[in-house]
Amino acid sequence: MSILFILLVPAILTAAPLLVRQNRSLGYLSAAGYFVVLALSIRLILRFLARGAAVSLFNFIYLDALSLFFVFVIALVTFAVALYSVDFVAREAAGGAISEKKARLYYSLFNSFALAMLLVVVVNNLGIMWVAIELTTLVSAFLVGFYNSKDSLEAAWKYIIICSVGIILALLGTILFAYALLFQAGVKSLNWTELIAAAGTLVGNLLKVAFIFILVGYGTKAGLAPMHPWLPDAHSPAISPISALLSGVLLKTALYAILRYSMIVNQCLGPAYTGRLLLLFGLISLAVSAGFILVQKDLKRLLAYSSIEHVGIIAIGFGLGGPLGTYGALFHILNHAAAKSLMFFGAGNIVKKYGTHNIHIIKGVLRVLPLTGAMLLVGIFALTGLPPFSIFFSELMVLAAAFLKGSYLVAGLMLLFLSIIFGAILHHFSQMLFGKKPADQPAESEPLTGKAAFIFLLFFICGLGWLMPGPLNQLLLSASTLLRGR
Amino acid sequence: MSIELLILISILASAYAMVSAKRMSALIGSFRLQSLLLFLLTFMEAVKGHYWGLYAVSFLILGIKVVGIPHFLFRMLREIKVNENLGFLINPQLSLVASLIFTYCAWLFAGQVFPAADTVFRAFATIAFSVLLTGMFIMIFRLKALAQIIGLLVMENGIFLLAAATSGGMPFIVEMAIFLDVFVSVIILGLFVYRINELFTGIDVDQLNRLRG
Repeated sequence: MSILFILLVPAILTAAPLLVRQNRSLGYLSAAGYFVVLALSIRLILRFLARGAAVSLFNFIYLDALSLFFVFVIALVTFAVALYSVDFVAREAAGGAISEKKARLYYSLFNSFALAMLLVVVVNNLGIMWVAIELTTLVSAFLVGFYNSKDSLEAAWKYIIICSVGIILALLGTILFAYALLFQAGVKSLNWTELIAAAGTLVGNLLKVAFIFILVGYGTKAGLAPMHPWLPDAHSPAISPISALLSGVLLKTALYAILRYSMIVNQCLGPAYTGRLLLLFGLISLAVSAGFILVQKDLKRLLAYSSIEHVGIIAIGFGLGGPLGTYGALFHILNHAAAKSLMFFGAGNIVKKYGTHNIHIIKGVLRVLPLTGAMLLVGIFALTGLPPFSIFFSELMVLAAAFLKGSYLVAGLMLLFLSIIFGAILHHFSQMLFGKKPADQPAESEPLTGKAAFIFLLFFICGLGWLMPGPLNQLLLSASTLLRGR
Repeated sequence: MSIELLILISILASAYAMVSAKRMSALIGSFRLQSLLLFLLTFMEAVKGHYWGLYAVSFLILGIKVVGIPHFLFRMLREIKVNENLGFLINPQLSLVASLIFTYCAWLFAGQVFPAADTVFRAFATIAFSVLLTGMFIMIFRLKALAQIIGLLVMENGIFLLAAATSGGMPFIVEMAIFLDVFVSVIILGLFVYRINELFTGIDVDQLNRLRG
């Protein structure tokens, strides 16, 4: 029943702006709601570890290690975003950047966005999953175009058009899977549980072609290069808490869809086929992001390209496979979600204070916004993969998996691109963080909920580097066993 | 079977008509025609199979794609006084040649993907794939935002044809959900077109070039 509450909370919160007029109370209400969702997701994980995977609600919902892990990641980031939104949105409304009515609209859209993402990872039916992913696009397009400026409108249009084309290709893939199942196994259904049960009997080119459509289609949404062009455009003009949500979890829900299908294909063709494709797209993503990060001038676009990089690393991890690669990739999903949200919160504060996205104009953040500056400093060390932060360990696992497998070329390329990105990000941020404090910018302290969101995420970024909680470890282990199909 | 084949070929012809259309209203009109043919095809399947789900789906096509969406698009055309010219990156004649090539490629591709299929099925799949490709072509090589919406809908028509060919349609609940989704996305895209028209004074998407790098 917990899962029903997890879905009900955002559903009720979506309607809340009709009753509650104050945007600040709406913010606190959402934060409380997602705290409950987070607690429930942990409860579900503990119950899963005791009892195993289960279908519920007339076969509509299926929860196994993989879906519960994603529920946890989504709950974690949405809670942080809800917390950060309270003061961010209140100040935007007070400052006149958005109207009071729009502030209420924000909470409606934000909550329905969260609902759609949660739905993606818990439904059993792959057709409904497709619908939920398309819903995430439709809802978040409004959030991307929220400020109604020329830039944000252009970004929203490109986002919705490119992702719609991608999603239509994914639908094509879904239909081909359904066809393969109907004619080769005689099952007319799109339920994942039935697909995976019949997967052993499937054969042939059809599945390979279908998987390519799935990978390209959902890969567009996941931000894999070369289907990525919407991503930096959409992240830059979006309202900052939403950039965090887009980068932190939206990309991962699309990856989740790809993983579901790769499990089916792996059942009948072995892991080599999907692995090679994921590796290829992962390496292209790393290469493309390294180039664009090097020459970037826009703070939020920089972070968006860094998301492409990390999605690339995750794809490489899954592509390499094996216990270490899969575990590392899953762990990286969580770590990147926490670190990138923190970075976007920081970027949001900076952009609000300085009134520009331009890296060359922003200087002396550590003096102007001391806490934000300090958090960003920690954040970039985490993001670029320095120890002792959690991302270091997940990247190390993926790299070690490459060496263990004897893929020295992959490992070498990965190290090359990672070191380029490391240098570039450090260069850009050292200018922004240190540098001379501009005379016309008085030092300012962050609002309370903004601080709370920072501390909450910092706890995960640092904590998971030192100490892996037992249940989380078990969950990751069983998810990675599931993904490897044994 | 022969009537079905006739309808299928007409669907392909309507796709060619869209690719070579010179005016916006012609494009929307051809789309409506294509949807009508799709409705007839599904309705005949439903009559043949006595399957209530297919009846529902066919009437959804009639309601949404033949009446609702074209009406909405025509209204938008009137309200924002769009220039009827579509804005070509590739002229209509060349586009037609391209889509003929698409059809041939689709024929080869269908043979690869469904090696065991009979000719009728292969023709079905070919037409579905080429409708999909022409939809994509319209999205990429026409400059008006409205044309991109139509391209998306045409792609969706192609997918629907393929679904009808391969499995007699998907599970009913999924089909319904997809329809709802398409409808909502067209409405949302429409809203964005209005906003683009206000801010950019016109709906040529080549104006959308501010975000780079």
